Amino acid sequence: MVAAADSDGALAGKGGAVTVRAPVPLFRKPSILPGFGLTLGFTLSYLGFIVLVPLAALIVRSSGLGWSGFWSAVTTPRVLAAFEVSFGLSFAAALTNAIFGFLVAWVLVRYDFPGKRLVDALVDLPFALPTAVAGIALSALYAPNGWLGKPLNELFGMKVAFTPLGIAIALTFIGLPFVVRTVQPILQDLPAEEEEAAASLGASRFQTFCSVILPAILPALVTGFALSFARGVGEYGSVIFIAGNMPGLTEILPLLIVIKLEQYDYAGAAAVGTAMLGVSFVMLLILNLLQQWMRSRHAR
Amino acid sequence: MAIQVSGITKRFNDFTALDSVDLEVKSGELLALLGPSGSGKTTLLRIMAGLESPDGGSLLLNGEEALGLKPRDRQVGFVFQHYALFRHMTVFDNVAFGLKVRPRGERPGSAEIKRRVTELLELVQLSPFAGRYPAQLSGGQRQRVALARALAIEPKVLLLDEPFGALDAKVRKELRRWLRKLHDDIHITSVFVTHDQEEALELADRVVVMNQGRIEQIGTPAEVYDHPASAFVYEFLGQVNRFDCTVEGGIAHVGGGALAIPTQGGVQGPAVAYVRPHDLGVTPASAGPARISGIHVVGPDARIDIDLAGLSLEAEMDRERLATLGIAAGDRCAIHIDRARVFAR
Repeated sequence: MVAAADSDGALAGKGGAVTVRAPVPLFRKPSILPGFGLTLGFTLSYLGFIVLVPLAALIVRSSGLGWSGFWSAVTTPRVLAAFEVSFGLSFAAALTNAIFGFLVAWVLVRYDFPGKRLVDALVDLPFALPTAVAGIALSALYAPNGWLGKPLNELFGMKVAFTPLGIAIALTFIGLPFVVRTVQPILQDLPAEEEEAAASLGASRFQTFCSVILPAILPALVTGFALSFARGVGEYGSVIFIAGNMPGLTEILPLLIVIKLEQYDYAGAAAVGTAMLGVSFVMLLILNLLQQWMRSRHAR
Repeated sequence: MAIQVSGITKRFNDFTALDSVDLEVKSGELLALLGPSGSGKTTLLRIMAGLESPDGGSLLLNGEEALGLKPRDRQVGFVFQHYALFRHMTVFDNVAFGLKVRPRGERPGSAEIKRRVTELLELVQLSPFAGRYPAQLSGGQRQRVALARALAIEPKVLLLDEPFGALDAKVRKELRRWLRKLHDDIHITSVFVTHDQEEALELADRVVVMNQGRIEQIGTPAEVYDHPASAFVYEFLGQVNRFDCTVEGGIAHVGGGALAIPTQGGVQGPAVAYVRPHDLGVTPASAGPARISGIHVVGPDARIDIDLAGLSLEAEMDRERLATLGIAAGDRCAIHIDRARVFAR
């Protein structure tokens, strides 16, 4: 009787050990939060429908040209020049924004002055304004007979509207909020104690800035830069008015695509779009990796 | 290096953080600034470091006026309550920071920096952690890194703002012993701020008790504990029974005459009496004036709640003594007071 009970217990124990070990999904960590499968599934299908399907359609469309057709469509001098204009000027504008957007964020966080709330709200205006309106305003301002364009031309011989510089100014205008809004909260949460520690250890303000403040906000600054850059590459409305749109000189990629569409060259437009997508993706990926590397250096 | 504080006043809007404070820190001593929150102790420490500027008064570091000096020129090491380590730097780089930011002419070579940092990390027993980031360390380890970082610049004075405040009880005790030993070894003039009276009494050479922006008393731990200068100090240092009484001819009458305590000093009339729990004796007596309302055993000690004619008192004794007395909650007892301090009301 006793022996039977014993063996029963042993069996039950064995059986228990086997049944308890449920198959654990590959990426899933044990967690008390429910709904892992549901949320992951939803997120992936949502992203698929909203982002991946349109992009895939673009690539499929351009694939009709074939490899050599695709290559010759995106390597014409006009397209290459447009690539240079779009990516080069977006990069320059994003860099400008990274520097001056940081300054704006710094002032908004560190100093108190009358009208600070107003300035803070002003930063978001480029987000809200229809880009075409911004473009018209900027080109009116910087045109050879405009308020700023005229004195700049007369005093310095500088032409802004209808030159690459004009495009850079438009891209800077629309990209500014991205840098300010990503850097501002990080700067706000920066503990004053670290700066005080640096000061008591003998660091000058400049040294404190370079070795304490800047490393702390650099990941946010890179994010702001990337957002501003990506926005600049895709920007259409504000640029076409001030650019002058001379092929090979001040013609941006989005405009080139529109032109191709107007000429019923759908496959060519898709090819340029696909190439643009590829370059953008690689650049954003690099920026992301850069950020990850910076974050990992002081990981929790 | 000695520190001389005289007439230092600091106001934040309507709040007076420091009200004309005078204080002398002797060269090589370990001084505690003790007080409740809002007493101005941290503000005083920050003024010494140059992180805050006072509204008036003077501060002499080694006999020289220092209020005009920037923090970086004061040769003061500051340790923050929440460590304030540089998050994106390794432990090594954190400690080396103060040496690396020196002007070109005074900056030691990189081999010399490495030697000094290694030495300091050995001193704070963190050599194996040189390559880690602060986030990978425990609280006690982080605070030791902060200390090594402050010592790296060879400061003349070490200022510590609630250095153990963010640590758990056990680590706090260990670190405080370790700091005392460190101070005995290197004898750097040190001032630390704390609201924990036990910490101040155990660690410091002298204790400065502060309240509402003023200094209540300065003295050795034994002096301030045994001879509190004011009612505030008595109440702030350690557990205490406080009750209203009337003093007539050197005898304090408590609880409607239920208890008479001999007092010293010239206090007459209405007064407040303070008795430490371990100065309150309990004897079982079936017709005694007091009743035991509860007994709590805490580790090796026992706390006894006593009700004396509506007055709640607390006595403290070790568990052995409690066992010999054989008292239990609800028993009646007699109490006698060995020592009391009386301040006029």
